[in-house]
Amino acid sequence: MNYPFWDIPYLGSGWVIGIIAIFHVMISQFAVGGGLYLPLAERKALREGRADWLKELTGYSKFFLVLTGVFGTISGVGIWFAIGLTHPEATSTLIHNFVFGWAIEWVFFLIELSTAVVYYYTWNKIDAKLHLTVGWVYAGASVCTLIIINGILTFMLTPGDTWLAVAGTGREASKFWNAFFNPTYWPSLLLRTCVCASLAGIWALISASRIDGGKQPALKISLVKWSVRWLVPSFVAMPLLFAWYLYMVPASQRALLMLGIDTIGSGTFSTITRIALLIVMTSATIIGVAYYLAYRNPIDFNPAHAVAILLLALIATGAGEYSREMLRKPYVIGRWMYSNGVRVPYAIKIDQEGYLAHSNWVWNGAGTGYSRGEAIFRGECGSCHTLNGYRPLVTLLSGRDRANIESFIIMLHEYKPDSPYHHFMPPMVGTKQDVEDLTDFLNAHVNPPAAGGQKPVQTAER
Amino acid sequence: MTTKMMASSAYDWVDERLGLSELAALARKKTVPVHAQSFWYYWGGITLFLFILQCFTGVLLLVYYRPGVEAYESVRQITFVMHFGWLIRSAHAWAANLMLFAILVHMFSVFFMKAYRKPREFGWLSGMALLAIAACFGFSGYLLPMDELSYFATKVGLQIPVAIPYIGPAIANMLRGGPDVTEFTVQRFFALHVVVLPALFIPLLAFHLWLVQRHGNAVPESEEAKPASERKSMPFMPNFLRKDVAMWIISLNVLALLASVFPWALGKQYDSLAPAPIGIHPEWYFMSPFEMLKLLGAVLPGEAGEIAGMLLFTLGIVLWILIPFYDKTTEAGRRGRIAHYFGLLAVFALLTTTVIGYWTIR
Repeated sequence: MNYPFWDIPYLGSGWVIGIIAIFHVMISQFAVGGGLYLPLAERKALREGRADWLKELTGYSKFFLVLTGVFGTISGVGIWFAIGLTHPEATSTLIHNFVFGWAIEWVFFLIELSTAVVYYYTWNKIDAKLHLTVGWVYAGASVCTLIIINGILTFMLTPGDTWLAVAGTGREASKFWNAFFNPTYWPSLLLRTCVCASLAGIWALISASRIDGGKQPALKISLVKWSVRWLVPSFVAMPLLFAWYLYMVPASQRALLMLGIDTIGSGTFSTITRIALLIVMTSATIIGVAYYLAYRNPIDFNPAHAVAILLLALIATGAGEYSREMLRKPYVIGRWMYSNGVRVPYAIKIDQEGYLAHSNWVWNGAGTGYSRGEAIFRGECGSCHTLNGYRPLVTLLSGRDRANIESFIIMLHEYKPDSPYHHFMPPMVGTKQDVEDLTDFLNAHVNPPAAGGQKPVQTAER
Repeated sequence: MTTKMMASSAYDWVDERLGLSELAALARKKTVPVHAQSFWYYWGGITLFLFILQCFTGVLLLVYYRPGVEAYESVRQITFVMHFGWLIRSAHAWAANLMLFAILVHMFSVFFMKAYRKPREFGWLSGMALLAIAACFGFSGYLLPMDELSYFATKVGLQIPVAIPYIGPAIANMLRGGPDVTEFTVQRFFALHVVVLPALFIPLLAFHLWLVQRHGNAVPESEEAKPASERKSMPFMPNFLRKDVAMWIISLNVLALLASVFPWALGKQYDSLAPAPIGIHPEWYFMSPFEMLKLLGAVLPGEAGEIAGMLLFTLGIVLWILIPFYDKTTEAGRRGRIAHYFGLLAVFALLTTTVIGYWTIR
């Protein structure tokens, strides 16, 4: 393909994005929810003349500024680096389509960061009404960042028929708005808004848990209870929004969830069902624990309790992001680009001309079958599998001899509609020779030659 | 008549016959001490909650499980055919492991809080019996799928009682239902697992809970040294109960996480003629005694080593069980310190032998 392969042994390149993204989502969605929480809390405190709330909010806004302004921004840039290296083809498509969308997003980032700094440093230094206005400007800018990024993220799952009709013609950007307001845009936006509100409440509980209930019982009770209420929109609306979201997802993608109901068989099809169950379970747990530990016992609510709720939120966020990624299988951009970066309509061409003939960054001389197979493995398998770590091919193919491995690859190459792998794996594209080469490479690892036997030529030795 | 009035009259009707108000008054009177170590009070409740989950998932598994020659096939169907069968089976297996972990945490927290001292000796003894039965639940349940791993692990496990002089082989034969582990063994283990052990466990658990209710929560020595006016407490109803419920929900979530991310696998069907697979080892809660016997066997090879190992191990357990009769009261002084070191030694021995056990099977 057009870019070099980024090989991350054991962990797999996907998890590099995953690890950064899960933490980033926890912070960035808090940046949106917290952006609404702060001015709303400030407005309430001003209306009710609660000086103790305002003092507490001053400290909280410092915590907010440091967490979102430092960790949120650094991890956001980290995602850019990681997706550029892991999925360069998909990143390229997104940039070509949404370059102005992203430019606007960065403008809102700048407004967001500037107002967050101004908001914290001007407590008690400017007029209270003006300070509250700064808070509202922050809230507006942060909501706009969600509105924009949501369009790009949902596009990857459901680009929509209008955009797909022009995909590959060079006129993709002309359907910007169709791609942006794609079928899952609205349910996803509302879902994420609910999650943002919940995270605002959960992070606020961390701050409120540190108030000494013995010395300031009224402050602690009111702030803890008010913060727990931020979880209510999720509790009420999430099941409906989740159902709406799934309804808008193509039936082939929904089928992935159904596949895992009656089996624990290895592979993506069962993992997504199991992780999706975890989202539902953990979301319910957060509500239950927040109710019993915080809402009904605000005075005794301590930092350990708050951290427990935050850890549960981390599990729910991780499970949610993981499921969203898995639901896209076998594509990275729905019906347009397979998860290994191969564009769907180009598969036939690659089958005729060979995978390596279309890979600009691999040594393409008369190497051994093993070394060609290694390059194909990195390009076609490496975005989801490793050899010996995450989704390890050596383990998944263990017990098969060479002929068996080859017939398995041929099955992936033929990609018949009734194949169970059709639902979640891209086809193996390439010529018959490519199938042979990949088989050579995998067989050398699954069935290593006995000691003293001839070793295959390693890429590094060429 | 409003709903509230109807509920009130229904309550009065039941109360008149069952005395619910007396129970409620009793619950309102109960308090739980609040101090730096209060966290350990939750572990008994967590154990109870996991046991209830075991009963619930166990009954669901019972609907499809068929002991005897069809044991493996029925578990295969539960895991791969029944809707969410894999989830129920995984939850049952993980809850069993979590329950044993919770029991061990509860036991050591009770030990180091000296909650076995007068008048709580029966609480300690009944707790020990519950731990023993829970271990038997684990051992008998492990065989039920009759896959390769469970078959050979049970076979190795049942070699241990054989080392008991004179009566050992007879005990092993009785448990196996013959000289080898077969379908008859599954039948026996099944009967133990779903009838005999619950019949022993449930009344004993009720007795244990009644004792907790009767004597209340023990406090650590540092707390006991404080004058009564400086000690803090919270009402059990509703404050502590709410926190207990939150802990149960978190436990349920941990269980869901484990069952979803690491679903319990089902190996190949056992083949009694096949060689044992490499790395056969007991479950983690039996690893320590297994490794201790192995280490002693290396020092004293042969039958003498086996007998010495069994004797030493039995002695250790007897001393552990009888600790309330050695370290009796707060004024125990030197005895209290010795008991404390004995506890530390037990934790150290358990952890090191477990680690060595897993290290040597790698």
